Amino acid sequence: MLQTGVYALQGALRELTLPEKFIASAKVILTGFVVVFSMLLLLILIIKLYSAVIGGAQRAVDRRAKRKELVKELVREENGVHIIKKPAYVTAPAIEEGIPEEVIAVIAAAVAASGTPGAQTRIKSIKKANGGRSAWANAGVLDNTRPF
Amino acid sequence: MEIIQGFFDAIYGIFTGSGLMNLNWQNYIMIAVSVFLLYLAIYRQYEPLLLLPIAFGMLLVNLYPEIMAPPATELVPMTGANDPAAAGHATQLINGTWYYENPQYGGLLYYLYQGVKLGIYPPLIFLGIGCMTDFGPLISNPKSLILGAAAQIGIFITFTGAIFLGFSEAQAGAIAIIGGADGPTAIFVTTKLAPELLGSIAIAAYSYMALVPIIQPPIMKALTTKKERAVVMEQLRPVSKLEKIVFPIIVVILISIFLPDAAPLVGMLMLGNLFKESGVVDRIAKAAQNELMNIITIFLGITVGATARGNTFLTLDTIKIIALGLIAFSMGTSFGVLFGKLMYKLTGGKVNPLIGSAGVSAVPMAARVSQRVGQQENPGNFLLMHAMGPNVAGVIGSAVAAGVLLNVIPH
Repeated sequence: MLQTGVYALQGALRELTLPEKFIASAKVILTGFVVVFSMLLLLILIIKLYSAVIGGAQRAVDRRAKRKELVKELVREENGVHIIKKPAYVTAPAIEEGIPEEVIAVIAAAVAASGTPGAQTRIKSIKKANGGRSAWANAGVLDNTRPF
Repeated sequence: MEIIQGFFDAIYGIFTGSGLMNLNWQNYIMIAVSVFLLYLAIYRQYEPLLLLPIAFGMLLVNLYPEIMAPPATELVPMTGANDPAAAGHATQLINGTWYYENPQYGGLLYYLYQGVKLGIYPPLIFLGIGCMTDFGPLISNPKSLILGAAAQIGIFITFTGAIFLGFSEAQAGAIAIIGGADGPTAIFVTTKLAPELLGSIAIAAYSYMALVPIIQPPIMKALTTKKERAVVMEQLRPVSKLEKIVFPIIVVILISIFLPDAAPLVGMLMLGNLFKESGVVDRIAKAAQNELMNIITIFLGITVGATARGNTFLTLDTIKIIALGLIAFSMGTSFGVLFGKLMYKLTGGKVNPLIGSAGVSAVPMAARVSQRVGQQENPGNFLLMHAMGPNVAGVIGSAVAAGVLLNVIPH
């Protein structure tokens, strides 16, 4: 056993002949190329497969949850009887003239982002604020926020 | 008079034991090299977390080589049969004289180096990397694994170059793995295939990783057209938590079954990732990616640097290794980009070939380079998340390539 190990070591250390070098190189390139690509291709296949399975299951769960939420929103129960709620009419928010659409979009996004995730929010009106800060107040704010 | 004589003897003893008497010209060159690397790490901030301890280890070992000395046994002649100094020591009779064995302890860095020598540190570093890696971009676009595989071709071609430059098969395998651009993988493979080349290979691997922003862009630009570089890719789909939890388990099962030699690296990488994604062991995940990883980085860096002793490092082989490493790294980048081009053609222009260069591991530097080169053509283009896919695929790819080399090459 030990002798075999010594021969193997001698084999590994001795200078290779030219044909041996070609054979060793071709063996490593071919094996490396085939094994690395087949492992990673197999991984692609498996990821796609389980993503499809998990994605499908997730979508089904989401659909069920959404349906439950919708029913909860539209139907109320009184003495064991299901009664359809009156639909709430959504009115467009009252927006003061002169406010650009981009500003409205930013306000809407900020309101949506600041609320609880998933909760529905509604903007009723957007008005320009009167007055604003005095010059002294502005100077104070600037002074405090300048380092940032 | 006796006091003065004693004083001079003591001064002479200190002088003869000092570096001025014991260091050779190679040590002085290496001291200069280490100071230059310290400059690159501190002033230029080239991978300072690694380069700084490596450079300092290099400096220490060339100032005081004994710091890496293994433990030894000194034979001290006995003054008589009942020499009190020999009490408790083993004795030997050589040529009629009795000696007792006086054990000499190894240097500080010798003991810390055992973690490198026994292949312990690299998998532990992978554990920390796993905790910090988000495989989301890869799961949402699994095709990027092809780019991670393509960037490993450089490894196998460089193997040929090393064989024909006169290295043995095992040494050629260790040199070729530099092309994976993954420090821990390079160290892991080298300790198993050619431990005598560890200093040169580790330093070449980490240097090229630090130089990714300089080496890659010219290759990426040379192989792509302006139109290809300007491609804006579609947004990636969000990946569910369950998919992220299942991923490390599937990868470790698959790779460890087919390629057991890659199991220590891939296993630790995926364990770290499972710590992160499961969300139930936050404390362990934080310890692995902060305290543990930082401690191992210090030990790994300083001991790898300490393998670069002047007399063993300043050889023609080191120059060959550095040249071959650059070839391996450039080939990895080139094949990644070329496969990116192929995907560009096959998808009808939906894939930006620049993300292919991120297939060499070097996380996240290589992905950042793809982002930067892409933005030079189109400032509104954000390739970073798309490049992270091939980038983390490259980590898996280089671990698989390491497994192949360890499997195929006799050692």
